[in-house]
Amino acid sequence: MKLLMIFLLSLLSLGTASAADLTTDEIVNRANLATYYQGKDGVAKVKMTITDSQDRKRERKLTILRRDEPDTDDLENGAYRGNQKFYVYFSRPADVNKMVFMVWKNLEKDDDRWLYLPALDLVKRIAASDKRTSFVGSDFFYEDVSGRDIDEDEHELVETTDKYYVIKNTPKDPASVEFAYFKMYIHKKTFIPVQVEFYDSQDKKYRVARALKVDTIQGYPTVTKSSMESLQTGSKTVMEYTSVKYDTGLPDNIFTERYLRKAPRKYLK
Amino acid sequence: MSLKKSSWLIDYAIAKPRTISWIMVILTFLLISLATLPSLWPVAFPALNGLKVDTDPENMLSKDEPVRVFHNAAKKEFSLSDIVVVGIVNTEHKEGVFNPQSLTRIYELTNYAKTLQWSEGDEEHGVVEVDIIAPSVVDNIEQGGEGIVNFSWLMPEPPTSQEEAIAIRDRALHIPFLNGTMVSEDGKAMAIYLPLVSKHDSYEVREKLLEFTSQWDKGDQVHITGLPVAEDTFGVEMFVQMAISAPLAMLVIFGLLWFFFRNLTLVISPMIVAMVSALSTMALLIITGNTIHIMSSMIPIFIMPIAVLDSVHILSEFFDRYPAIKDRRKTIIEVMKHLFMPMLFTTITTIAGFASLALTPIPPVQVFGVFVAIGVLLAWFWTVVFIPAYVMLMPEEKLEGFGHSASDEDDSSFLSRVLHRLGKWTYDHAKTVLGITLLCVGVSAYGISKIQINDNPIKWFNQEHPIRIADKVLNDHFGGTYIAYLEYKADEKGQSLDEYSSSLKQRLETWKQEVIADEYANVESVFSQAMGMITKTKGTTVDEYLLKLQEQVNEKMDAASDEDYDTWSELALFLDAEDQRHQVFKQPEVLRYLSALQEYLLQTGIVGKVNALPDIIKTVHRELFLGKQEQFRIPDSANAVAQTLVTYQNSHRPQDLWHFVTPDYKKTNLMLQLNSGDNIDMEKVIAAVEDFEKNNPPPMNLKSEWFGLTYINVIWQNKMVQGMLKSFMGSFLIVLLMMIFLFRSLWLGLLSMIPLTVTVGLIYGVIGFIGKDYDMPVAVLSALSLGLAIDYAIHFLARSREARNKTGNWKEAVDEVFGEPARAISRNLIILGAGFLPLLAAPLVPYQTVGVFIAAILICAGVATLLILPAAMTLLENRLFKGA
Repeated sequence: MKLLMIFLLSLLSLGTASAADLTTDEIVNRANLATYYQGKDGVAKVKMTITDSQDRKRERKLTILRRDEPDTDDLENGAYRGNQKFYVYFSRPADVNKMVFMVWKNLEKDDDRWLYLPALDLVKRIAASDKRTSFVGSDFFYEDVSGRDIDEDEHELVETTDKYYVIKNTPKDPASVEFAYFKMYIHKKTFIPVQVEFYDSQDKKYRVARALKVDTIQGYPTVTKSSMESLQTGSKTVMEYTSVKYDTGLPDNIFTERYLRKAPRKYLK
Repeated sequence: MSLKKSSWLIDYAIAKPRTISWIMVILTFLLISLATLPSLWPVAFPALNGLKVDTDPENMLSKDEPVRVFHNAAKKEFSLSDIVVVGIVNTEHKEGVFNPQSLTRIYELTNYAKTLQWSEGDEEHGVVEVDIIAPSVVDNIEQGGEGIVNFSWLMPEPPTSQEEAIAIRDRALHIPFLNGTMVSEDGKAMAIYLPLVSKHDSYEVREKLLEFTSQWDKGDQVHITGLPVAEDTFGVEMFVQMAISAPLAMLVIFGLLWFFFRNLTLVISPMIVAMVSALSTMALLIITGNTIHIMSSMIPIFIMPIAVLDSVHILSEFFDRYPAIKDRRKTIIEVMKHLFMPMLFTTITTIAGFASLALTPIPPVQVFGVFVAIGVLLAWFWTVVFIPAYVMLMPEEKLEGFGHSASDEDDSSFLSRVLHRLGKWTYDHAKTVLGITLLCVGVSAYGISKIQINDNPIKWFNQEHPIRIADKVLNDHFGGTYIAYLEYKADEKGQSLDEYSSSLKQRLETWKQEVIADEYANVESVFSQAMGMITKTKGTTVDEYLLKLQEQVNEKMDAASDEDYDTWSELALFLDAEDQRHQVFKQPEVLRYLSALQEYLLQTGIVGKVNALPDIIKTVHRELFLGKQEQFRIPDSANAVAQTLVTYQNSHRPQDLWHFVTPDYKKTNLMLQLNSGDNIDMEKVIAAVEDFEKNNPPPMNLKSEWFGLTYINVIWQNKMVQGMLKSFMGSFLIVLLMMIFLFRSLWLGLLSMIPLTVTVGLIYGVIGFIGKDYDMPVAVLSALSLGLAIDYAIHFLARSREARNKTGNWKEAVDEVFGEPARAISRNLIILGAGFLPLLAAPLVPYQTVGVFIAAILICAGVATLLILPAAMTLLENRLFKGA
């Protein structure tokens, strides 16, 4: 299976190098797959460093577990797309140790989100009304971590350069988001969006995401260092991914309320 | 002696009046050009200083003043901006602004405010979008159904029904940092807060907002206030005032001069001297690179009366003597001979009064003092040379019929009759006069003891000014629009490293018990290794020490067997928690202390609201626990606090937290909303904090420090009051010494100080009685009174002594003194006193104050001179004039 994937992927990258005639939808789907759906599941340790405009740094350490509902990464008819579950376990700073954030990302309805606060001995559902709020005080939004569903935007290929497809994404429901549109610079070979720029209604760029480092792990081109910068506050968050593993066979039952209070240690190491 | 030495100057002026006039015109023109050219075309004249306006009261303190340095550093550290407050009040709808239409407007206004940015060169200016506080851009935290907490925009879009509008209000009122800040406690009004990149952007922002809201119907009233707005607006209106008040004062003085001297051509001359002096001084101010500040903008208003003063003495005497001499050259020489010395001395004393302001610790006051002194010197010079030259340039026939006509001699005019009777009366009732004087002094002393030192930049506008109205309306509705900040930080020097490591060992023991209980592997071995590290490791600070321990543990952890890994990992966690013990503003006891202080401050009646870290924690805690009111509290552990705060930061505006605490949690900031910007009220709040700290010693060695504009105003005010007092005392002594020297008599010297002392006493006594605040303009007026009041005394005493020497006894001398000399003084005080009354029409209070007080000083000093001095001379004749 794994070997097959690598084979398919290399085929894909070979194919795209010559075929500049991909449709916008195909590009968008491949980018979506490369960013959020690679493998059946994934585990990564993350060091998050938030640096504000005064160069003050804060560090958080967390482990992200992801499990996809579909068994396939097939692009055909968007077969790779489906519901996903995320389990985010915090270990540092010490005072948020064991804090857990869990998401059931649903394509057909609102996401389900939970927060476990060990010091308050509290499991809390978080209303999913707005996913574009800060992810634990960083410059990333929840939606940046779990992935924005591609059906929520209209996509337009505005430019093709030597290296990138530039896609302009305009929200179908402008009232639900703070941006007017965002531009993705999608790498032609890996389909990783190496830069994403968010613009406001006055065409002012106010937020930029960057892929700072890409490694191939188990055959998947994987962003192992990324950043999100707010041009408004001057704050910047860098996420560094270590011990990235795909297809580890995460069981579905650990993504449940029961495991919030008692973390599945085995999978977090 | 000086007269002889200087007489060549006057002789020259009389001989070459044209040359003198040309020199004056050319010099003045040159100065004005040097000032205006770089102001109008700064690029073409890069080497010259152009006009620079500075309306920032902060500049009352020099840039390196510790208070100011701290203010700026703290503002930066907590990312605080100066704020324009836009209040929207609706008195027609029963729910105030909480109706769909008003909220739609507020929504649109907010969107518009977000766009108020512009660039000047490389610098961005305008509104800081991310920090705006308005219903559509702030977060709401509330229950979202069973067990669900909801973070959402308070008003993502305008409501379509009245019910929705009310719901928005109720949600906002439920959030402590919005209630009383964004939504008025009565639930009727709204305030949106627009932080600025620079406070100097406020005028432009205000103008644009006013334009945007100009189409709103009467229901929704917009009030814009905040210290930056007041200061910027003041700056703009200051120029209008300079352009209106000063010329208006000149016009009135001109009218009165004409009324007294009835010769249009002649009375133009003092006007010219005043204009030339004022313009040249202002030009010099600009050329030397100084700014037009609230203080320096008043320079012309101070120079003009003083400039006219000497000219009026000359004209008055000329007016009285010309009919007898009937030759303008001889008359003017005669007049100048009489007046040169007194004028020189009055000028020197005035200069001393103003120059002494250079000793105050406040840069703008120093500049003000020095330049008024320069202006006075210029005025004296041009008076002495130009007035005689001007007289010479007038054809003799133009002076025909000029002057006190010889036929009906002295008792002709009403003024002369009154003065003559007054002179006799003072002679007959000397004791009464002195008795009343003593009474006045006593009453004044009591009044002075009641003086209230206070200032408030908003009150520089009169009651009807939109800014003043906005200030009143908004402070009635909200917690307050005056912001002061109070920083707390932990005292870094705490325990020694030895103390720390022994307490660390104790805590490690506890840790051991916990991990054993949790069934971790090989705890004993890990524990003893850790104890070894604690003992061996050295460091200079606790931070460094801990960092070294953490490094060692991390190495051990990486090298550990799978079995031991978890135990080492737990130890690493323990050390990280140790590190966080120094994050004092996550500690519940500290937060409860701050919370208690907040409560205490609200009882002052001045602090309407305190926004601080405890409010955020309590609110989020409440909403995490089903919104129950009893959960509106600080949780019991630092970890619980930290997790509450992380929850808060899952919002749209995580950066809001850093206005209240630094990311290392070692400093916190309390934002106080005061409903008054009076310094006296700020001082009460400062005292309240001191009291609280004294009665409740802060935990963990916390130290507090104030900052914010409202606080800075208090600091410079105190400096100014003390500085003014010192400089006044200093110049009083200098003037006294000069008087003793001038009259070569201790007694006459002391006597000459009496009108001045009585005037100053009376003026400040009255200020104390009527409860007028001793503010910046009032403080500066003491310098002016010194200069003006002594002037009359010098003239009066010089002439009295002359008359006494001539007649041999005071009784006869009184008659002469109450002739021409008294008339000169009376004319002077009437002309100048009335001349400054137009300032009363100014919409800026400092100008009104100056107008009223110049008039009062002149009248007081004049009356004191004409009553007290002759009465005293009557009683002390023998002592004062021994050589009779």
